[in-house]
Formats: sequence, structure tokens, C-alpha cells
Amino acid sequence: MVYCLFGIVFIISIYTARHYSFTLNRLFGFQRHPYIDTDTANWPQVTILVAAHNEEKVVANILTALMSVNYPQDKMLVVPVNDRSTDGTREIIDGFVDKYPGRIRPFHRTGGKGGKAAALKDAMEMVETEVILIFDADYIPGSGLIKQLVAPFFDPEVGGVMGRVVPLNVGTNLLTRLLDLERSGGYQVDQQARMNLHLVPQHGGTVAGVRLSALREIGGWNDNSLTEDTDLTYRLLLNGWQTVYQNRSECYEEVPETWPVRIKQIMRWAKGHNQALAAYAFHLLFGKHRATFRERIDGTLLLGVYAMAPVTLLGWFLALGVFYQGIAPLHGVIALLAFTAYAAMGNFAAFFEIAAAVRLDYTRSRICLLPFLVLGFGVSIFSVSRAFVSQVLAPITGAKFHWDKTERFRTTP
Amino acid sequence: MSPALATLLLVVLAGFLVTIPLLPAIIELRLKRDAQPLDVIQQYGGDIRHFAYGFRRIAVELQPQLQECVAAGTTVTGALPDGDEYILLGHPDESFFVPATRRDSTWRSVVVAGADLALPDDLTFAKEIYAAGDLTGGERNTFRAILGEKNIHLQRASKVIRWAHAVRRFRAAHDCDLYGRISADQEIQLQSGCVFQRVNAPVIASGFSDTTVGQYVSRLSNVAADAAPSLPPSGRTLYDGDLEIRAGEVVPGSVVTRGKLHIRSGARVLGSVKSNGHLTMDSGASVEGSLIGGTTMHVGSNCRIGGPVLAERGIVIESGTHCGSAVNPTTVAAPAIELEEGVLIFGTLWARNEGRVVPTA
Repeated sequence: MVYCLFGIVFIISIYTARHYSFTLNRLFGFQRHPYIDTDTANWPQVTILVAAHNEEKVVANILTALMSVNYPQDKMLVVPVNDRSTDGTREIIDGFVDKYPGRIRPFHRTGGKGGKAAALKDAMEMVETEVILIFDADYIPGSGLIKQLVAPFFDPEVGGVMGRVVPLNVGTNLLTRLLDLERSGGYQVDQQARMNLHLVPQHGGTVAGVRLSALREIGGWNDNSLTEDTDLTYRLLLNGWQTVYQNRSECYEEVPETWPVRIKQIMRWAKGHNQALAAYAFHLLFGKHRATFRERIDGTLLLGVYAMAPVTLLGWFLALGVFYQGIAPLHGVIALLAFTAYAAMGNFAAFFEIAAAVRLDYTRSRICLLPFLVLGFGVSIFSVSRAFVSQVLAPITGAKFHWDKTERFRTTP
Repeated sequence: MSPALATLLLVVLAGFLVTIPLLPAIIELRLKRDAQPLDVIQQYGGDIRHFAYGFRRIAVELQPQLQECVAAGTTVTGALPDGDEYILLGHPDESFFVPATRRDSTWRSVVVAGADLALPDDLTFAKEIYAAGDLTGGERNTFRAILGEKNIHLQRASKVIRWAHAVRRFRAAHDCDLYGRISADQEIQLQSGCVFQRVNAPVIASGFSDTTVGQYVSRLSNVAADAAPSLPPSGRTLYDGDLEIRAGEVVPGSVVTRGKLHIRSGARVLGSVKSNGHLTMDSGASVEGSLIGGTTMHVGSNCRIGGPVLAERGIVIESGTHCGSAVNPTTVAAPAIELEEGVLIFGTLWARNEGRVVPTA
């Protein structure tokens, strides 16, 4: 039991060190934005896929925004991927098609496998361009965003691009404010540090792009994955394609406003991420492919982030067990010192990361909410662990993985 | 004290102590002082002329008064809505700006000239200048910002602090410091010793004489870059180490190296090129697509590059090299850029830290 606990502490310590190194890099290191200054170019043809499943509350906003971006109109085609919607999504899209002739070509999907990856896979029949951008329907791209997301594809090593997601409905309630902080930490520090350090920035599947030839090379969208973005990141990596992160390519999104919706969302992310962990971790770490040594290490750690929740929970139970058994590991003193050190440094690594992100965003008072993140952390750790257990037990219980669409809350379409 | 009361007090005290560190969080949650979404710029597309166009709107509002000044040959002063003073010049004369004393050499008003404007040496303009005609600076002038409806010609050792835009041509003589945004709708010429950051024009020329650029560019029609695709056809070769492309070799697709890359003289790459190490192009080599460097890049003389030229640390470009074309403009960007005299860039030149024009070696 003690050695198992040591193992868990060791793994947690690695993630702690990772959090600190990322945060310190963002605060003091060289910041990479290699493509952001691409201001003038012979811009390529681009297809913009807008994934929409029952999105009547939000789809008009993104189509309006896309019609006013500064990308050359004759080089941009918007394809709303209406995935079996049963609300007014189809009618809204068709209204835009009439209003902007030749600029929007809808893909109305009425049947087939559920899930975003399956819908995107089917929609590929509409795609003829080398550059594909993907947005979820609740996003609102700014005028210059499309050029920013296309620019990295001038680099022949780049297979995928990811922009920064910024919550729009921040002030709604405690949950949205906590998610705002989490997004800041995840993008402003975590993703950008991985970009800076030539590690593995993650494709997020929205505010994102992919190169058609790279996608074909890796076998297209994996419609068996619950998180097609994570799956894409690793298949690109294994085939020598880079995914790059553009921190200044920001786009508004809507975050969940209720805890049940948030829990469903994070459970889906956890299951999808764990699918990728099972599928790619061993091959990434030990296999013969094009990833560099540092990409192998970071990529494996990234794959393990959701698996860390049940591992941490197990660690807590083991620690209690060790305590009540009266075992004092390493004569107690070292354990006490280690516990003290971890309490002082380790527990706060993620909070330090988020605090640094808030600082880098030049925001002020929202940093006061940091203590409440413990609440979000608690909900996440139990939800993710529950997802993990259900996944492990799936072969016994016969449970099938299925796509849960994230509910929208916008009231002014 | 009864045990029950003691317990209650203990619970209340413990609750109070737990709440103290949460007070700032509770206050922020209640007051929502910082609950707005991050300020993502939605409408601004990054246009280099953004500020120039904004200033033009102010100048347009002053046009009726300015036309009266031009007709009467008078000078009028006033104040803009933001409180800045302005001066409208009907018939600007160089002698008008000659300072009576050294202390008068700084102009603190927005200057709006209804005709050509010629300035004496050693003046500082702390506010924007608008010229309806040509603007010809004096030596060692310092400008906050300039909008010229025709040509702008800065003399030796002048400075632009924020932006300058010429509707026709912008020329900077030797040793000018051009911070911020410099743009022109026809052409920009920078002489050696000029320092720049962000520059945009259909043609940017380093070190050409003021009469030769147009003639030179007109002879460049049908260059290979005109026909180059925006993204070269798919098909790339990935090398894990260093790579050398031999002199005269033609590479049909794109090339990516994890190490250094050396493109020898006369070699031609029909796709794009990426090197994660130092990238060297010898004289006369050409790349039809983009040229991407993970660190630094040295482009030799008389090279031709069709697509964007981007390096994460620095770029040196030697004389006679062309980036982009009149039909397919492009971007050359890096934190540090060094251009020899005789380089042509069609589109944007962007040095985040500092760019410099240097004499031909």
C-alpha cells in the first residue's frame, strides 16, 4: 500500500513540476508566435465547417460573424454542418444561404452515426480546399480571425492549428466565472507554454484548422472517438505533422451555465481523452514514428491528464489507509517534510498557473475567485473519476459510449 | 460556560476563520467588478492603415474650414472635440515653421495643411500632421504620425514614432527611425541606416534611388512568383536531420527539416520550405512557396521567394532578392530583420523588435 502511494505521489509530483515549468515559461520565457504577423499573402481557398446540432439559439450569430470577416470572399466557403437538428437550425441556415448566395453551402445531415466527428466525416464530401477551419456553432469569430488561423498552413510542417477560446457569458454565475478562470489557465498558460517549448499543443476541434492532405494521410476523422480533437492531435503527431497554437487568435464561446451540463461535458471529454490514452500512449512513448523525444514525454503526460483524477482519488484513500494503519513511511520525518513541501507547493501548482494566466490577461479582480476553484476542482475530480470507472466497467456492463451535446444558454439569437 | 455553548462558539469561530480568506472572493462574486469577458477584438482586422483612416475622418470634418483657409491663404487655429488644439494652414510656407528659438522647435498642435507642405530641419511634431499635398520633411524631424494624401518624403535622420501613411509614395532618406506602422498605397523606399518595424505597400524597396523603383518593378512582370499557387500542391518530404539541396537541383514538392537547411546556388524548390534549424539560401536560389525558419535565416543575393518568409529569431536578406510579386504580395516577418540595399518586398515587412536597412556588403 505504501509503495503504491509512493508511486502515485511520484506521478502527481511530475504533473506538479509540469504545471510550474509551464507557468514559469509563460512568465519569463521566450514566447513563440511565429505566424501571427502574416499580414499579407496570397491567401489560399479555405472551407469553414460549422458543426451545428440543434443550435437555433446560436447559429445565426456565427454565420453573421463569418460573413463579415476580412478574409477574401472569393476564397472562403462556409459549410454549416447541420447534424440531424430537430429545432429551427435548418431554417436559420437556409435563410443565410439565401441572403449570401454562393458564400454558404449547407450540409444538412438527416441520419447516420451520432457525434461531431461522424458529422464532420460525412461533411468532408463538401470539402475541396487544402485548408479546413472548424468552429462549433456557439463561437463568434472576430474580423481578423480567419487569416490568423490560416496563416500557419503556409508552414509545410503544420497539419493542425488551434486558436484561443474565450468565454463570453462570464458573468452569469459562479460556474461560468470558474470556467473563465480555467479556460484562461488552460490556454493562456498551458497551451502557449507547450507551443513555446516545442511540445504538444492540443487541437481543440473548434477555433481550429486542419490541412486536408494531412487529414487524408492519417485516415480522416475518427468517428469512434468522443473527442475527435484529441484523437486528431495524436494521429497528426505520430505522422510528423505539427499542431500549433495561436494564443492571439481569440474567439468567444459560450460556457455551460449549469453544473449538470458542465458535468456531462467534462465526463465526455474525460472518456474521449482516455480513449486516446488507451489508443496512443504506448505507441507514442515507445513506438517508431516522427515525434521528438520531448513530444513523446509531453504527449504522454497530456494523454494522462484525465486519468490523474481517479489516480489522485486513489492516492487520498491510500493515504487514509496508511494513516489509520499507523504506518509512518520513511520513519515519519521525511514523510512529514514531503507532506509539508507538497502542501506548500504542489497543491497550488494549478492555482498558480491560473493566477499567472489572469495576470497575463491584464484582468484584476477576478483573481479573487481563485479559492472557489477548489469547488470546481472537486466536482471535476469526482466527475472524471466516475467517467473513468464507467469506461473501465463498460465491457462488463455493456454500456455504449455516446455523444452528449452541450446545451446552449444564449437567449438572444 | 456550558459545553453546548462552548461547542457553538467553537463552530462559529472556526466558520469565521474559514470565511476570512474567502471574503475577497465572496465580495467579487457579489459585486461582479471584473465579470466582463476578456476584451477580444471583434471588428479590428489588424489593418496597418487603421489609425491613418481614423485620423482622416478628423481631417475630413475640418475640410470646409480648411478649404476656406486655402482660398484665403490664411491660418486658423481651434480645438478638436478631445481637447487637442489644431492649426489649419491655407498656404503653408516653410518659413512659417522656422522656430524663433530652440525652445519653439516643438509643435504641440495637430497640423492640417491644405496643400503641399515643406518643413525646415530639427522640428518635432508632438501631434499628427495631415497634408493634402506632398509632405517633404526637413532633416532630423520627429513626427508622432503623418497622413499624406500624396507623397511623403522624410529627410535624413528623421523619426516617426507611431505611424505614417502616404496615399502614393513614402520615401525615407538615410538613417531614419520608423517606429510603429509605415504604409503607402503605391510604394515605399527605405535608404540604408533606416530602422523599421511594420511596413506595408505594394512595393517596398531598400536602397533604390527614388526614380528607379517603378521602372524596375514594371520590368518584373511574369516572374515565377506571379504564377505561384497560394499553397503549393501537397507532397512534402520530412528530414530528421540537416539537409543540403544541391546547386541547380529542382525539388518538386515541399521540404521540412528538423535540423539545418542549406539551399545551394541556383536550386529551385517548387513547394514550400521549413527548417527548424538555421536556414541558408545561396545566391540565385528560388522557393515558389513559403520559406519558414525555426530560428534564423540568411537569404543570399538575387533569390526569389514566392510565399511568406517567416523566421522565429531573425532574417538577413541580401541585395537583389525579391519576396512575393506585384500579383502575389506576401509577408516577411521576424523579430529582427536586416535588409541589404537592393531588396524588393511586395506586401508587408514586419520586424517585431527591429528591422534595419544596411549597405550592400
